Amino acid sequence: MGRGQGAAAAIAICAAFIFGCGRTPNHPAGYIQVDIETSPTSTDPRFATDAISSWVSELVFDSLVKVDRNGQFVGDLAGSIERPNDTTIIFRLKPGVRFSDGRELTSRDVKFTYDSILDPASMSLKRAGFAELKSIEAPDDSTIVMSTAHPFAPAMEMATQEIVPDGTPPPLYNEAPAPPGTGAFKMVRYARDDSAWLDRNPYRPVQADALLGIVFKIVPDPTVRALELAEGVCDVSENNIEAYVLPYLGAQPNVVVNESPGTRYQYLMLNFRNPQLRDVSVRRAIAYAIDRDAIANSFLRGTARVASGMLAPENWAYDGNVTKYSYDPAKARQLLDDAGYHAGADGMRDLTFIYKTTPEGARLAEVMQAMLRHVGIRVEIRSNEFATFYSDLQNGNFDLASSRWIGINDPYQYYLVFDSKMTPPRGINRGAYANAEMDALVEDGDRTIDPAKRRAIYARVQELAAQDLPYISLWWLQNVAVLNRDVTGFDPYPNGSLRSLATLKLIGPAGSEASQ
Amino acid sequence: MTRYFLRRLLALIPVAIGVATLTFAMIHLVPGDPIIAMLGETAAPSDIAEMRHRLGLDRPLGEQYLGFVGGLAKGDLGESISYRRSVASLIAERFPATLELTVAGILVGLLIAFPLGIISGTRPGGAGDIGAMGFAILGISIPHIYLGPLLMILFSLDLRWLPLTGRGGFSHLILPAVTLGTALAAIIARMLRQSLIVVRESDYMRTARGKGLSPMEAMVRHGLRNAMTPVVTLIGLQAGALLTGALITEVIFSWPGIGRLLISAISARDYPLVQGCVLTFALTYVVVNMATDLAYAMIDPRVRLD
Repeated sequence: MGRGQGAAAAIAICAAFIFGCGRTPNHPAGYIQVDIETSPTSTDPRFATDAISSWVSELVFDSLVKVDRNGQFVGDLAGSIERPNDTTIIFRLKPGVRFSDGRELTSRDVKFTYDSILDPASMSLKRAGFAELKSIEAPDDSTIVMSTAHPFAPAMEMATQEIVPDGTPPPLYNEAPAPPGTGAFKMVRYARDDSAWLDRNPYRPVQADALLGIVFKIVPDPTVRALELAEGVCDVSENNIEAYVLPYLGAQPNVVVNESPGTRYQYLMLNFRNPQLRDVSVRRAIAYAIDRDAIANSFLRGTARVASGMLAPENWAYDGNVTKYSYDPAKARQLLDDAGYHAGADGMRDLTFIYKTTPEGARLAEVMQAMLRHVGIRVEIRSNEFATFYSDLQNGNFDLASSRWIGINDPYQYYLVFDSKMTPPRGINRGAYANAEMDALVEDGDRTIDPAKRRAIYARVQELAAQDLPYISLWWLQNVAVLNRDVTGFDPYPNGSLRSLATLKLIGPAGSEASQ
Repeated sequence: MTRYFLRRLLALIPVAIGVATLTFAMIHLVPGDPIIAMLGETAAPSDIAEMRHRLGLDRPLGEQYLGFVGGLAKGDLGESISYRRSVASLIAERFPATLELTVAGILVGLLIAFPLGIISGTRPGGAGDIGAMGFAILGISIPHIYLGPLLMILFSLDLRWLPLTGRGGFSHLILPAVTLGTALAAIIARMLRQSLIVVRESDYMRTARGKGLSPMEAMVRHGLRNAMTPVVTLIGLQAGALLTGALITEVIFSWPGIGRLLISAISARDYPLVQGCVLTFALTYVVVNMATDLAYAMIDPRVRLD
């Protein structure tokens, strides 16, 4: 073979590789691919507390109750719920429910699930969430009696724990596929950092044209998630696409961008350990100096609603009739002048705050920095990877920090973040906010079972939080789902739950293959 | 040569201890608590204390260090805190993917660099040289995080030839390997050009051309081998940078390698896993440099390894 022929053969081999290999389908017909940014930390619902694990778990497991689109608790495995007194809840299971391995669900499974979490040897991350649970009993195969030591209004939140079969051992390692559940799907394969495969639970009735399964693919890079949607490799991606990419995706012929009200709450946290931030005038000046409308409309491309407090309008306890801080830099300057922080010749005051952020939040930090500079407040941004940022929040090593709460269902959250007893290391009142009236209100809210009385308590809590500003409320992020046009029936949940995936259908070529 | 390699292998021991010590110190110095990352802030103090005890993190730091080095001596890298599996098994599972990507990156780099370097080095200042060096500057300047998505848009979205992400057949390897290999190609091409420019003025090259060989033939047959020594050194040194580059490339292309493992280990403050991954990177770097020394002897008969 001559030199020229050799070169031609090499080129032909390369071309055959490139064109011949082509793209292989990532999943079988009738399945959809959903891109998520990180792996679930555990596939066993007794051990995982992160949002992504919860979203996958909700499709594989059921719980006694679940949260509906209005943030209310409704029966899931429980056919009926009674509250005979302030410390007891009785659940009666729906008949005929089966796990994906064919076993019928009984109250023993429910009791086992809770007992195994409460067992100190299990070292379950969820144990702390059941601190108020006094006992859980299964007097017969279909009844569960949950008791708390004293009246505890958010007790129903504890009934959202997903149920595993009696006798399920703790996972030997954190890459084990999920145990059988009673949910719409069963997990058939899990490769951490790669994908989780769900097939239909054969013991759950479904419509003929329902999805056969879901592949959760772990795609850490946001740009790549957007490209996968544009290419049609990914079928659904929710709340993990950058706002600036949405116009590009919306222009793609095969993609639909679905926006709906969401409850993910973004806030600016102020550290009360800093004496200057203990001055309410300074906190209010910061609130007036931030143009949240402008940020929501331009920086976030309209994918956020300006927030009045932690609870979104979708929550039953929401009260929007609170003190609000619309953008008013003149008022901010006046407040600072009145508080004795006068501007120098350069327009800046003797106020310098350290703003801690992750690299992902750095651009927002820069926007805030520019707005606060406008009223004479200096902000130094310190950006660290998440674990360091998280550690700084826990240790109170910040002046300002922006973070986000996801999946707030019950106003009990106010106790966790604003009660002075919950200051770290005991809890998550990271800014060390302390107000006796707030403490009394949130503790009363936890003990009051009557929903009307509770609503009144939390109306006052919301007003007090708006006046006192332990957090400056920024916005509730919209739920932004980007879907392939071949996918239909997506009905989003305000809290970002992916439970709606269970009822999706495929239309077009993929759908006709699926129904064959 | 055997003695030489035995000596180099023995030298691995202090290198491993040094890297292990530095990694141990650094990961314990940065803020962040693996127990809080695992159990959450609201965990009961008794649970936090119990878990800390179970994982041996309540022992004095010196004792933990000696335990780590002692385990290392027995080939035991410990158990991952977040994966609850042996670190060695996790690395053994993920390392082939990283190795595959890195080797492919080097091959792509060489495939691009050699033609460019030869074209430039044969006729410096010519149109080919200007074009090739223009590419080299572009290749060095574009970061992986930008080049990867650009290649994806062109070859996956527009042309629809290649898959976007994941590890599968040969087609899955092309885009990550090109992303990884482009900067290397640019650096090697520039080095090769410089070497060839020096070599082309040598007496033996003039003789070769006097015998009737064209400049290109003389360069490929006689000049290239002599210009290779600095290039091989460069490849050895760049292999380390390539492993680091693989870290970013693995994230972009969802490539299930050791780089992604390291990133998730750092986020979780998974001390044993971070230590194991960094040690693996460091030892690979040393082994690659040993292989580079071996390549010297093969390329240049004047080089003796003893």
